[in-house]
Amino acid sequence: MDTKKPKQASQTKPSIPEGQVSRVQDWSDKEVVIRLKDINKTFFIREKGADSLRDKVFGLFSSNGKKEIKAVEDFNLEVRKGEFLGIIGRNGCGKSTLLKIIMGAIRPDKGGEVTTYGRMMRLSLGMGFDAKLTARENVYINASILGLTIKEVDEKFDEIIEFAELQNFIDTPVKFYSRGMKSRLGFATAVHADADIFLMDEFFGGVGDVNFKKKSEDIFAKSFIEGRTIIHVSHNMGSIRQHCDRVVLMEKGTIHKIGTPDEVIPVYKDLMGQKNAKSKKRGKNQQGKKSKGQESARKKPANKK
Amino acid sequence: MLAKLENNRIERIWLLAKIDFKKRYYDHGLGILWALINPLFKLAVYYFVFTHIMTSRVPSFALYLFSGLITWLFFAQGTKKGINLLKNKKYLIESIQFEQLDLFVAATLSVFYAFLFKLAAYFVIHFAYLIPIQPYMLYMPILILNTFVLVLGVSILLATINIYIRDIEHAWDMVTLAGFWLTPIIYPKEALLEKFYILAYINPMAGIVINFRETVLYGRPPLYELFFYDIAYAIVVLVVGVFLYKKYAHKAVEKL
Repeated sequence: MDTKKPKQASQTKPSIPEGQVSRVQDWSDKEVVIRLKDINKTFFIREKGADSLRDKVFGLFSSNGKKEIKAVEDFNLEVRKGEFLGIIGRNGCGKSTLLKIIMGAIRPDKGGEVTTYGRMMRLSLGMGFDAKLTARENVYINASILGLTIKEVDEKFDEIIEFAELQNFIDTPVKFYSRGMKSRLGFATAVHADADIFLMDEFFGGVGDVNFKKKSEDIFAKSFIEGRTIIHVSHNMGSIRQHCDRVVLMEKGTIHKIGTPDEVIPVYKDLMGQKNAKSKKRGKNQQGKKSKGQESARKKPANKK
Repeated sequence: MLAKLENNRIERIWLLAKIDFKKRYYDHGLGILWALINPLFKLAVYYFVFTHIMTSRVPSFALYLFSGLITWLFFAQGTKKGINLLKNKKYLIESIQFEQLDLFVAATLSVFYAFLFKLAAYFVIHFAYLIPIQPYMLYMPILILNTFVLVLGVSILLATINIYIRDIEHAWDMVTLAGFWLTPIIYPKEALLEKFYILAYINPMAGIVINFRETVLYGRPPLYELFFYDIAYAIVVLVVGVFLYKKYAHKAVEKL
């Protein structure tokens, strides 16, 4: 009896194509790090101006110009430690809002419970930088807020800058950076950051040239994911397929389907396809490239002959 | 994990304050000198007006004026910064989880640095006038701490209200303007206290400024009633501010 092995039911693994990490495991004995219970979120979008005394006073007498938008509805989810969860869905389905709720930046409506264990960081484009400060200052501030002492940042600082390839621009205010530079700095900081849970909000790590892209992918796949819980909101199905253990498909603020990438992505494509149904009259088969490839493969010999 | 956060907490606040202070002055030409030039210029103008155009019979008028001015500026600038703090730091709040109240401490600290700078200049003039050090000066640190707590409390309170009622920013501008004139900075304290003592109850800075001068400039005991009243005032404001913050400030990211 091998006492060292944890009680994981090793399921029979399906044949895994090259490059895809095998992540078919039983998660039930890993601790839950994020628990979302009965999450709802309603936004009241005001039509004009900022919140003011005037609105409050006159708003009492007439319900004017406030639209009610239910961004998230009846959302329940448990995320386990070390899991890589993908969230996909059409634009406007509530993904970003959900991440903010998990993060704690926004509170859900009454009755909703968000429980998280561990430090979280939310990565998004243009992430967490004050444009008027230099890269150096931004890195130190962000790292400090994450809990690193100045000494620790000192040690990692050179690594971060080297990774982002910004050695000559450390003391230039970020407002002068190009979009690519900002992205690289953001990614470099995130990669070296010390959070336990990462919420990636359509955060493209791999901008920049081929070398940087490869560097990012490598670091991402190897050290970044290791031991961390990641929730990745993305439209990039390739990345989702490659990294995610589970995928949640959101639609209109609620979970439409949840499962492995292979189970969920086709449903997503189906949903997208329905949207385009009028503009493109294609066959029912939504297997994407495969079917197209097959069709043309069938046609080609006929043409040649 | 959380212990680690606590370890670097003081360092973090200090770092935020330092960078914030740099940001305020660094980029702007003369930089930190402006922290000094601005109030000195005001001092010059007020001094001129109130000694040559309207005569003021306050002894050691320049010092009287300057001490009141810099203390008031600490309050005015501190609260102005504080009221918009959540809006300005929104980019941090929505990306990383941390104790947001630290931001307020850091912001107040940042303005405090500028105050210390001016205070040093004050003492240069003070000792140039050969005014001796006397025991009542020991009240000074308490008064300064009192102001710090007051600024912090008001900042937190106003910032929380600002999330829901954006008029507060503009309203506070007006309150600050009125406050400047309802604090005996330019005129002797008797002018305020004899007829309008109640204003000293509404405006805590009046008492603080008066007592600063009494103890530091004139070497006299402070007005004890106001002294204790202002301490209590600051603490109450801070407690109320933090309470409201904990209850209502979660909508900051949504609404700002």
